[in-house]
Amino acid sequence: MASLPRLPGPRQALSSIQSIRPTRPFHTIHQRASASPSSLRNSPRNQPFKTTPTTPTRTLSPIQIRTYHSPLHPRLPPHEYTNSQTAILTASLPHIPTHGFTAAALTRGARDAGFLDVSVQLLPRGEFDLILFWLASRRGLLRGRVEDGSVFGAAGEGLSVEEKVKILVLERLKMNIDVRGVWQDVRPSLKCPYSETSLSPLLELHALSNDILTLAGDSAVDATWYARRMALGAIYASAEVVMTRDPSPGLEETEAFVRRRFEDKEVLRGKVEGVGSWVGFWGNTVVGVGRSWGLKI
Amino acid sequence: MSTRSAWRALHYSAKRRTFQPATPYRCFSCTRQAFDQAKPDHERMTHFGFTNVPESEKESRVGAVFSSVASSYDNMNDLMSLGIHRLWKDHFVRSLNPGTPVANRPANAKDQGWNILDIAGGTGDIAFRMLDHATNINHDLETRVTISDINADMLAEGRKRSTATPYYNTPRLSFVEANAEHMPHIPDASIDLYTVVFGIRNFTDKQAALNEAFRVLKPGGVFACMEFSKVENPVFDAVYKRWNFSAIPLIGQVVAGDRDSYQYLVESIERFPSQEEFRGMIQKAGFMIPGKGYENLTGGIAAIHKGIKPVTQV
Repeated sequence: MASLPRLPGPRQALSSIQSIRPTRPFHTIHQRASASPSSLRNSPRNQPFKTTPTTPTRTLSPIQIRTYHSPLHPRLPPHEYTNSQTAILTASLPHIPTHGFTAAALTRGARDAGFLDVSVQLLPRGEFDLILFWLASRRGLLRGRVEDGSVFGAAGEGLSVEEKVKILVLERLKMNIDVRGVWQDVRPSLKCPYSETSLSPLLELHALSNDILTLAGDSAVDATWYARRMALGAIYASAEVVMTRDPSPGLEETEAFVRRRFEDKEVLRGKVEGVGSWVGFWGNTVVGVGRSWGLKI
Repeated sequence: MSTRSAWRALHYSAKRRTFQPATPYRCFSCTRQAFDQAKPDHERMTHFGFTNVPESEKESRVGAVFSSVASSYDNMNDLMSLGIHRLWKDHFVRSLNPGTPVANRPANAKDQGWNILDIAGGTGDIAFRMLDHATNINHDLETRVTISDINADMLAEGRKRSTATPYYNTPRLSFVEANAEHMPHIPDASIDLYTVVFGIRNFTDKQAALNEAFRVLKPGGVFACMEFSKVENPVFDAVYKRWNFSAIPLIGQVVAGDRDSYQYLVESIERFPSQEEFRGMIQKAGFMIPGKGYENLTGGIAAIHKGIKPVTQV
């Protein structure tokens, strides 16, 4: 009898519950376990840039996947490039408006970051990595701007989710102003069916629409979760195409295009809901008539 | 009745008899091996194909193999790989993209072009390809390649072949006879790109060669290695092993008149570490690994490994 552990009294139990609830959310346990050998992280020579602790991964997927999501978790980093890779890619970004998303921009970036021309081998997919890094880092930037309050400003509380989404889409498109001249060249390589990279642009588009909706405060937990993300992704992707041919300095035409597409989306939603209620009404009526005739339905 | 008792006796004796030999187990086929191992051996052993040899001996044995295959090296490669080795080598050079295009060249850099060290590149297969790529694709006339090989016969073969290229007798191509594990004539941090193609398998101490590569590379320089590796698909692996151990020594015997050298070749392929193990060795030498760290060619028959020397401080 003495060997059995004694159950805690109610007061003790309550305090122990409070002690296990984290005051600060942990994010490390929710990250995907890194499959790479830990020697890379342990070796001091492999961490020349002490910016953020990054976990090297086997797949080099730019997007992390988390099995459980809670708003209490800190957000995952927008990409999983290592510090040296990030250094080269970041230094390449200023060269994009002149050189496009090309190996030349990467080479110049590597040189600016103190590497050699040959060091672009650090990025196995070359310019494709530059494109993905551009997308991911802009997404991270958008997130940062929302979190420091520079997007919605003081009026942020009064805006509806729909208005916030529209503002965020335009904000994201405005980040592309400098590269709109070269963005047209990127689109073929985003659709190029590479062996393991064909899904990355789609995942990135999903991550962007997911981020925009989350930042706008969308809290749908039904089938519209998919519909909203797909609709937003479609609007954003088509607006990018319009943007590449938009000569106006402040992207006014693109803005008008986005506004029209959101109106279309509303119309489409109205139609779908109308068809749904029509089908529901007639279904109910048929069942009711059948029952009144004595059918066992 | 008598048969039953005889059976019982036999059965019993087969089951219960315990035979204690006076000397430990030693059959005729393993006597030699047992004697060899019993010999007091103060020297570290390494593998030469499937046999173990002292480390000091491996170098000369590998040297003998390559001296004997040097003249027929090219024909044999074509026959053994059905010509695929050319595709691999082209892909290897293309992916490295040696040379800086004119438009990208910084105007006031003190040393133009890349300084490439091609280890174990005796016959110049990779070196000529890299120079061709730099010249014709990137219009870079400054990139230079040093071919280093431990074997004078292979270097002689490379020299002979270089006379047919436009790089013969120019400062862009040079030949050095050296051991890749110890290269005191090459200063620290002087090389942009270190390549070793189908060579590191034959090194006595691979880790020492990797450490030496780390030393001679500039910060940001790239170690690139193409080597036979492990086939991942088991069905294809069975076919490949059959080809390796049956066909290649036979081709060697018929074409080059040298079965043993090619037997060594396939055994050394078999003994080379797997993709993951070799990646670990590259990391151990201090290199950063880009992405997965290796790229399989033809289902893993060969693999391209890359490592980048980190830039310590910017």
